[in-house]
Formats: sequence, C-alpha cells, structure tokens
Amino acid sequence: MLLADSFTGCWLISKVCYSLKSMGSVLAASSPSPAPAAAGGSQGVSGLVSVPPGFSMPSVSSVPPTSGSGADADSTLPNPGTYEECHRKCKEVFPLQMDGVRLVVNKGLSNHFQVCHTVTLSTLGESGYRFGSTYVGSKQIGPAESFPVMVGDMDNTGSLNAQIIHQLTSTVRSKIAMQTQQHKFVNWQCDMECRGEDFTSAVTLGNPDVLVGSGILVGHYLQSITPALALGGELVYHNRPGEEGAVTSLLGRYTGDNYVATLTLGGAGAHATYYHKANDQLQIGVEFEASTRMQETSTSLGYQLDVPKANLLFKGTVDSNWMVGATLEKKLLPLPLTLALGALLNHRKNKFQCGFGVTIG
Amino acid sequence: MGSVLALSSGPGHQNWPFSTDRPPSRWDAHPAHWDSPPRWERRDGRLPNPGSFHSLHRSCKDVFPQQIEGVKMILNKTLSSFFKISHALHLSAVSPSYYRFHVEHLQSDDYSKDKDAPALIGEMDSSGSLNAHALLHLTERVRARTVFQTQQSQFVTWQFETEYRGNDFTAAVTVANPDVLRESVILVAHFLQSVSSGLVLGGELVYHRGRAEEGGILTLAGQYSRPNWVATLNAGKGGAHASYYHRANKQIQVGVEFEASTRTQETTTSFGYQMELPEANMVFRGMINSRCIIGGVLEKRLTPLPATLIMGAFVNHRGDKLQVGLGINVG
Repeated sequence: MLLADSFTGCWLISKVCYSLKSMGSVLAASSPSPAPAAAGGSQGVSGLVSVPPGFSMPSVSSVPPTSGSGADADSTLPNPGTYEECHRKCKEVFPLQMDGVRLVVNKGLSNHFQVCHTVTLSTLGESGYRFGSTYVGSKQIGPAESFPVMVGDMDNTGSLNAQIIHQLTSTVRSKIAMQTQQHKFVNWQCDMECRGEDFTSAVTLGNPDVLVGSGILVGHYLQSITPALALGGELVYHNRPGEEGAVTSLLGRYTGDNYVATLTLGGAGAHATYYHKANDQLQIGVEFEASTRMQETSTSLGYQLDVPKANLLFKGTVDSNWMVGATLEKKLLPLPLTLALGALLNHRKNKFQCGFGVTIG
Repeated sequence: MGSVLALSSGPGHQNWPFSTDRPPSRWDAHPAHWDSPPRWERRDGRLPNPGSFHSLHRSCKDVFPQQIEGVKMILNKTLSSFFKISHALHLSAVSPSYYRFHVEHLQSDDYSKDKDAPALIGEMDSSGSLNAHALLHLTERVRARTVFQTQQSQFVTWQFETEYRGNDFTAAVTVANPDVLRESVILVAHFLQSVSSGLVLGGELVYHRGRAEEGGILTLAGQYSRPNWVATLNAGKGGAHASYYHRANKQIQVGVEFEASTRTQETTTSFGYQMELPEANMVFRGMINSRCIIGGVLEKRLTPLPATLIMGAFVNHRGDKLQVGLGINVG
C-alpha cells in the first residue's frame, strides 16, 4: 500500500540519518571506513532509500555504559541513545547482498569535505553511476561530532538524496531529508530530536502536503529505567483525505556485559533481536521478525568474524527462508584498496547471486 | 622427472571443465613454442611437423578470457604420477548448479611439457552427463582419439579419430556420430603440410550424410609463423576464420580474431590481450568484441596457499547484460 510504503520510507531515512549524527570529521570517518557501509551505500532498500555512498557508519556504541560512569552511579542514568539505533547493533552483523560489480572511489578533499564516486554494473537491477558528497561543518560539539552535516548524492538518472543535520541547541538536533526518484519528490521530511539526561524524544513530520492535506507524524520516546534497561514507544499518525490512522509500538532494550537484547512490539508485528559479542573477533546476531500485514515470520542468524591481522572481515548468515549468504572483505595493503566478495544462495527458489566490489580510498 | 603436478600448476585455464568443446588436449600445443625450440624441428634443416589441425588457431584463442559465471570451486588432487582427479562445484545464477567429478589417467610416466602423453580422461556430472576421452599412441606416428559425450542419458557425441604424423605433414580422419540405424555419419579429413619453415598449408574436408541429405564442405587453411607472431587463415564455403597472435614481450600477448559464417550470415571480430605479472602471481585477460561484449578475467595465485582466485565479468552492452564469476582452484 502506498501509505505503508511511504512511512516505511520514512523509517528508513530516519534510521540512516540518526547514524549520521555521530559522524566525526570527514577524513577520520573515511580512512579506515568499514567498507560494508560504503558498499551498502547504493543498495537501495525497497528502492526508496539508500545510505549515501562513501558515507561510513562509524562504530557507534548505542549501548550505554552499564556501570555508572561517574561518582554518583546510583542516581545518574545514561542517555539511552536514539530509537532507531536499538536494533542496529544486531543488524550490522549481517552481510549485505552483493550483486554484480561495484567500484567505489572515496576521496577526501579536506577536513570538511568528502566526495564519492560509485559505478555499479548489476545483473538484476540497474547499472549506473552515482556521485555523493558530504560536508561537515565546523561547529564542534564533541570529540567526534561536528555540525552541520550535509550529505547529498545524485544518480545518473537524476535521482537525488539530500540530508541536512544540525545541532540547534545543546540538546536539540534537527534534520531535514529529501529524496527524489528522477524528477518526482518521493520523500521529504523534517525531524527534531531532544536528548535529555536519561531520555530521548523525537518528532518527525514526513511528507507534509498542504495542498492535498496529507502527512505523517511520528513521535518517539525512549527512557532509561535502569542502567541496563531502556523502555520506549513510538506513535505513528498518518492523515490523508479520506482516511487517518495511528499505529503504536513499544520497545524494550536490555544490555548486558557483552550482549544486547531488544524487542519491539506493536500493531504491525514484532521484531526481536539479540546481539552477542563472543570475543574480539566473533560477533553473533539473531533476529526474529513477525509481520501481521504479510502474515509471516522469519528468523535469521548472522555472524561476523573479524581477523585484523589478515585484514579480513567475514560475515555469514543463515535464514529461515532457506537463504545462505556470505560476504568477505579484504584490505589489500599497502594499496588503499578493499576487495569485497559476496554470494547469496536461496535454496527454496534455487536462485543464486554473487558479486564483487572494489573500494578505493 | 615429469609428473602430473606439472600439469596442474598452470594458470587456471586447464582446470576449466570442457563443457564447451574438446579438452585442452596435450596434442594441441603450438609446434613453435616461444620459450623453447619447436618440438619437431630437426637439426638437419628438414621441415618440422605442423601439429594437428585443431591447434591452428589455438595460440590466439588462449589469449582470450573464458566466459565465467557464478561461483566455481575446483579441488585438484594428484593421487600418483599417473592419476589425477578433480572435484568441481559450480553455483550458477543462470544455469542449474552442479557437481562434477573429473579423472585423468596417463598411460605413461614420461610426461613433460614438450611431449604429448596418451591418457584416459573421464568426467561425470551430478545430473549424470558423462564426458569421456581416450587418447592413445598406437605407434610412434599414429595416434587415435575417441570421444564420448552424453547429456544425462542420451548420447550426444561419439567420435573416433586417427591421426598420422609424418616428417613434415599431418593427416587425420575423424568419424563423428556414425549411426547405422539413422544412416547418418559425419566424416572429416584433415591434412596439413609444412611448406617452408614458417608456412603451413592444408585443408579440411567435411562430409556429412543424413537420411534426407548429404553434402561436403572443403576448407583451406594456411598459417604463417615468425618468432613473435602467428597468422592463420581458414577459408571455405562455410565461412572464414582468421586469427593473428602477437607476443609483444614476456608479459603481454595480443590476439585478434575474425570469424565469418555463411550459415548464420554474420561476422565477428574480437580483440583480446593477456598480461602476465609473475612477480605478483597474476594473469589478466581482457577482450572486446564487435558484438559489444567486453570481458575481463583476473587470476591470482594466493601464495603460500596452493590456491588460485579467479574473478571475471562479461558485459554485453547491446543487451545490457552482465555476468559475474568468482572461482577458486585449490591444488
């Protein structure tokens, strides 16, 4: 349904953008950038949204420190992070689907400016060229955060993705995002996030259309109950001429020493993830999704093996849909080159796809 | 000490299965081998044996990359100096995936790069398709080859070839798919004669007979070789095939090929090159075609592991299609 897709699109954009918030200086982000994020840059999810390429998602620890960070450990609860990041740690363990050939060239022009060229030759989808650029301003909030952040990328067909994130006050951050599919505007949204001492709340206004009288309003709230437990909720209200409705869901997240368990329950279904860090090299994630709209459930197991001595990163996944996939990334030192190989096999449909990519810079 | 290990250490080429056509037979190497004196050259100034008819275009064809698709893993195992097996597993996006078992048995122990060796080669697919070749040296000058190919349970090819290698000529007769019940047969006769030290002339006569029709096609062939290049031409009623191979230096080899067919009424020109970087253990082959196909295959030996990684992609710009392949050869 169009409406469902459009607010799914919102999700995806906001998921992307909340990760932008902790991007440090552009050059620092680009040098040992984890290639999966850059490679996954142009993998549009459901064709609506894509993480701007060349934009690396730095290892943001959305897991708050479990032991008290200050002298008054009993009374200070840490800020729980944002609503979108709760499931992220588990999702990062899973490999990306690779298809065809991809060449990514990242170039840092200065401390503030970075550009990225991506050429994709695809067997299933469209081949094309994408140009992305990132600008980070000079208002330094913390050691790894500078604002404003402006990210844009343009396709060879003319599709544009643009985001601007800015820190308005010490607790309020705002973001505006736009997305077009060739010449048509598909997504335009604005949101405001307020981070308190032990809570985070955000309001997003998506696709407001004054002429038609439609729009989507999303409210998030996440509160730290104990240093390990965070509870929160989300309310989505959509309005169109002729129909209006609201969907609510609740979120709970529990953080242990080396694991994070998150559960989201709502009218649209349930989503549970479990992330476990076995040791420095091995991380495991288990994900369970149930959707009331499509009336189906799926469970996935993913693991990530990191061998820094061999400059190797291996991710594998097994799915309840009889899908097996893996991605291998290797840094070819001394060149600033990363080679990524990936394959996905769907046993049920007997379909196979493989791809490889090279990231330079 | 010649051993089968010498066979398997070449770049991945020989390990690709012969699903396309005949296997890279040891008979088919070009007689003028660049790094060592030609095999049949005699000191007394007599003309060398021209080799077999199938190998006329081979030095140019070896430069071109082979079409690669999906993920292929090949495991080679040498059981003894006579016996070699290999397991191949292919996961493909366009064709069904398969497992293939390949076995080679050499008839004699004295194999080395310069000598041909008779052998028995067999290959079996997970779908039941069989590919069997027997190469035999009947006498010093007479060789026989038998080929059987089945597609699951049906026989597709069964052919018998006899070749006589004289001092400066080669003559071969092949009987392909003789079928007594359907009264059909294909007879092929080849003849190649060394005319001078660089020039080889010859011809091929194909006679096919079926229940309703019969016919013959004559093709003339000529090849001129110099130390650095080889030019070959086949021309006849069925079409023309011209190839030019040039070795620029130790690392770069270039090939140009032109094919014209009267049956399909079309022509194709291809340009290919091969770049070898032995210090980096890498071989790269690229090609571009008049059918707007561009392809490249990179093979890298992952020392110290006895493994070779192969990555390749072919783009057909006219149909906007892409084929990507990854392969790993172990052993």
